[in-house]
Amino acid sequence: MPKIPVIILSGFLGSGKTSLLTKALKQNELQNSAIIVNEFGKIGLDHHLLSRVEERTLLLGGGCVCCSTREDLVAAILALLNDMQSGVQQKVDRVIVETTGLADPSPIWFTILRHPVLQHHFDVDRILVTLDAVNGMFHLDQHEESIKQTAVADQIIITKTDIASGEQIEQLLERIASINPAASIGTTHADDPDGSRFFVGDAQAVRTVQAVDSADLAKAHAGDTCSISIRFDRPLDWHAFGLWLSMLLHARGTAILRVKGLLDLGGEGPVSLNGVQHIIHPPEHLDHWPEGIRASNIVFIMKQVEPQQILDSLLAFQHVLGAVPYALEVKTAI
Amino acid sequence: MCVLCGGFVLQEHWTEKSSDDGGAIMTVGGDSGRNRQRQRLLRTNMANRILGYYGLKMEDWNGSKYILRDSKGSSEIVYDLGSLWPAVEKMIRKAADPLDPQLIERMQENPRI
Repeated sequence: MPKIPVIILSGFLGSGKTSLLTKALKQNELQNSAIIVNEFGKIGLDHHLLSRVEERTLLLGGGCVCCSTREDLVAAILALLNDMQSGVQQKVDRVIVETTGLADPSPIWFTILRHPVLQHHFDVDRILVTLDAVNGMFHLDQHEESIKQTAVADQIIITKTDIASGEQIEQLLERIASINPAASIGTTHADDPDGSRFFVGDAQAVRTVQAVDSADLAKAHAGDTCSISIRFDRPLDWHAFGLWLSMLLHARGTAILRVKGLLDLGGEGPVSLNGVQHIIHPPEHLDHWPEGIRASNIVFIMKQVEPQQILDSLLAFQHVLGAVPYALEVKTAI
Repeated sequence: MCVLCGGFVLQEHWTEKSSDDGGAIMTVGGDSGRNRQRQRLLRTNMANRILGYYGLKMEDWNGSKYILRDSKGSSEIVYDLGSLWPAVEKMIRKAADPLDPQLIERMQENPRI
């Protein structure tokens, strides 16, 4: 039985998560979805907004999903699973978890991947993060949570583009690309008739970085959020790469915000690799390479680690890995 | 569940999902069994190239677990790479860091350690 995809919808306070979801839910594509709202504070405003899907809306009590109450998320999804299996409710096509504006999405990922029951029935499909076109810059400047959310996103949705100037959107796009070069970016506005497109379709399309002649490694500093895209010249040895990456994540997991990429292990198609901090999603085999590019391509987004360190380490391990790494692109969050 | 020792395997570590076998399905005998054993030996050898730097050695135990030893005779049972690094940290009293400049230097000087 295929696992039910779980979509994590995150984004800073007031960035338009609920508006996007409310509108998207009116469309037929999302009719058969279960919504779990992680409520912050006692008055469940968001809950009322989604009351239309009342019987499927499960309200998480007590605020932040991430640490103290992720058991609530487990309980909420287990209750849903129980209802589906006992026939009280028909099987849903997807579960959408809307987090609070301050939540870190990674613990939700962790919860679903590691829970002894949930891991067999659900799979995190994508992390969507909304950023407000007008106030997004301010949130990124002022709030660490907003940068963290941006860094872990699979897709970033810029909202309220109808009330922002073209220049504001340009700047925000540039900034997002500097924080998370692996994420795809979409835009939406108040009258967007098709918000559901963000919730369906292929989520894990990795944006492939175009080859740059010489990546400027000196630009990046350890204190900032920065990223490096690495390509390997030959197929990698999976065991060796797993050894290196598990070692890195054990030692530096909190500093590695995101690892994402496609690996060439010598097989027919690539293996997609997807990790958030200490957690790696079980690698998946894809049937074919996108757009004929056939080379391992990995993006690391990190903090307190310099891109040069990652590259040096991979270079030192090249004899074990069986392939030589080279940097395609290095970015420092602006 | 491991039939040899009765230990429960709750979580398959992501590194156990190898490139072509679609997961570590344990079967006894036959080609898949041999292939699995070969993969384990390859992984053990590879890990030992890195662990040697810390004076540690890992060996396969009955095809189901690994044993990590240091030169003073302490040993630790390791299930997979997920529990290897915490065990290494316990033995050498610090996290084995692949970004450690000294380790990098050592590997550059002697690629075949």
